[in-house]
Amino acid sequence: MKASRFAAYDKQESKAAYLFIVPAFLLLAVFIFYPMVRALIISFQNYNLIAAQSSFAGFANYGKLFEDGAFGASLWHSFYFTLIVLPVQTAISLGLALLVQKKFRGVGFFRTVYFLPVVVSFAIASTVFRLIYNKDYGMLNVVLKGLGLPALDFLSNPDISMLGIIALCIWRAMGFVMVIFLAGLNNIPDSLYEAAHVDGASSVQRFFRITLPLLKRTMAFVVIITTMDALKIFIPIYITTSGGPAGSTSTVVHFIYETAFKQMNMGYAAAAAFLFFFLVLVISIIQLRLFRTDVEY
Amino acid sequence: MNRTLIVAVRTAVMIAIAFIAIFPIYWMVMSSFRTHEEIFKYTTLSPELFLPVEWTLQNYRDIFLDPSKPFGRYMANTLFIAVVVTTLGLIANAMSAFAFAKLRFPFKKILLTLFMSSLVIPYEVIMIPQYLLMRDFGWINSYMALIVPQIVWVFGIFMLVQFFSDIPRDILDAARMDGAGWTRIFAKIVLPTAVPALITLGIMTFLNQWDSFLWPLVVINEEKKQVIQVAISSFQSLRNISWGKILAATSISSVPILVLFLFLQKYYVQGITMSGVKG
Repeated sequence: MKASRFAAYDKQESKAAYLFIVPAFLLLAVFIFYPMVRALIISFQNYNLIAAQSSFAGFANYGKLFEDGAFGASLWHSFYFTLIVLPVQTAISLGLALLVQKKFRGVGFFRTVYFLPVVVSFAIASTVFRLIYNKDYGMLNVVLKGLGLPALDFLSNPDISMLGIIALCIWRAMGFVMVIFLAGLNNIPDSLYEAAHVDGASSVQRFFRITLPLLKRTMAFVVIITTMDALKIFIPIYITTSGGPAGSTSTVVHFIYETAFKQMNMGYAAAAAFLFFFLVLVISIIQLRLFRTDVEY
Repeated sequence: MNRTLIVAVRTAVMIAIAFIAIFPIYWMVMSSFRTHEEIFKYTTLSPELFLPVEWTLQNYRDIFLDPSKPFGRYMANTLFIAVVVTTLGLIANAMSAFAFAKLRFPFKKILLTLFMSSLVIPYEVIMIPQYLLMRDFGWINSYMALIVPQIVWVFGIFMLVQFFSDIPRDILDAARMDGAGWTRIFAKIVLPTAVPALITLGIMTFLNQWDSFLWPLVVINEEKKQVIQVAISSFQSLRNISWGKILAATSISSVPILVLFLFLQKYYVQGITMSGVKG
């Protein structure tokens, strides 16, 4: 039975196929799958690189996380960041896409310019914004003062420090999301708009009755990847504020990084990472569900 | 009348956003040409804020000639790693993508699902065990750590599978009839037809490597071996470093990429679109 099943395959072809796959497969096994399993194991251990000891800890790491105020705060900061970035960035990017969707003279210029910040690396963008935000010499406050507005101290005022990071992230990502929306918009057939136009629909009606519903697939994709990326925010935090001032910008990944590579407490950090991974997974699944039921109209 | 007003407002909005998008980059480049005194001199709105008064290349000279922070070395390190990872990655990912897209073999479905399932695994979770693995291999402070784990990129495989699927199987079978082996078919028929997809993937891989931050931060501690992004971030933790030097460093490491992007924009945008369409 089994032999006849395999006889359907060309032996040489199968062999060639496996040889083609082997390099990628081995790399994947060693550097992705094995670490995933080991992460799970470590999360149940007391594993500290400084003490060079490791012992079974059961659910102790996980239990401790629920009582750890620093972890709770970092979770809240990640969610706060996401709750603002998700709607604001999505709206801005969709607006940009609508602005540059139609062909007109100079549209290529605007598309390129809006996309340019994406090409600047996150580390560099964060470094530059840190200088721009400087209270005394930064460009932002010089301009604000020049216009007679109060200065914003994004780097040392805990009430607004996260907003500074949010602005920087939206600046860098809006062009990226715009391009995804543009692709989605271009998939909507022109005939629909023409028909709506004939029926006398206003441009606002056309947007809410045609563009938005037909953009649902693209929107689902944008919402899910934006949420995932936003929850995992790290580089701008590390560079601009290092989690400060007063811990007001410490996010989950920043917490994991500090715990693992500053305190060398691998077990605890792995548990935090796993817990966080499940949260992100659950959120993604919920979002996917929400969009799926909506699509069937 | 109403129509022209709308167009005017629209254009004004577009120009304003373009200004916001480009200003930090403009400011970064311009300030890198300023003298140390000049950067802190103009703290009120004035034309001097927007253009250097006394153009200087001193900041660039400083970062390249400073022996304790050899910036040229960092750039060479990063370029080397990015080129090696991109080359090896294109080969390994294209090979497996070809097998998944065109060849028939047992357990193909299961293997493909296994590959794709790795897309769910967030990097943050495997970072810790990956670091421990690098320690076991003795790869801490070695480029092996920056290269080998980065080669396989399942998203890239996924993208290429879609691309290779369009190649008609008849062509491959005809080549088989003529006595060509699969390796030959892959190199002589499949790869040449996939050049646009390979360029797209190549650019994305290269940029990912050029921008890579968290992983080198974790596995490279030796000053001389550091990559560009981490080096820049360590610049500013030095208390008395001048802004001019930081900005010269950020400019010199992003302006070539920006220029490259202007030429290869089509491919890059195509890559993003492909990821968005299929999701």
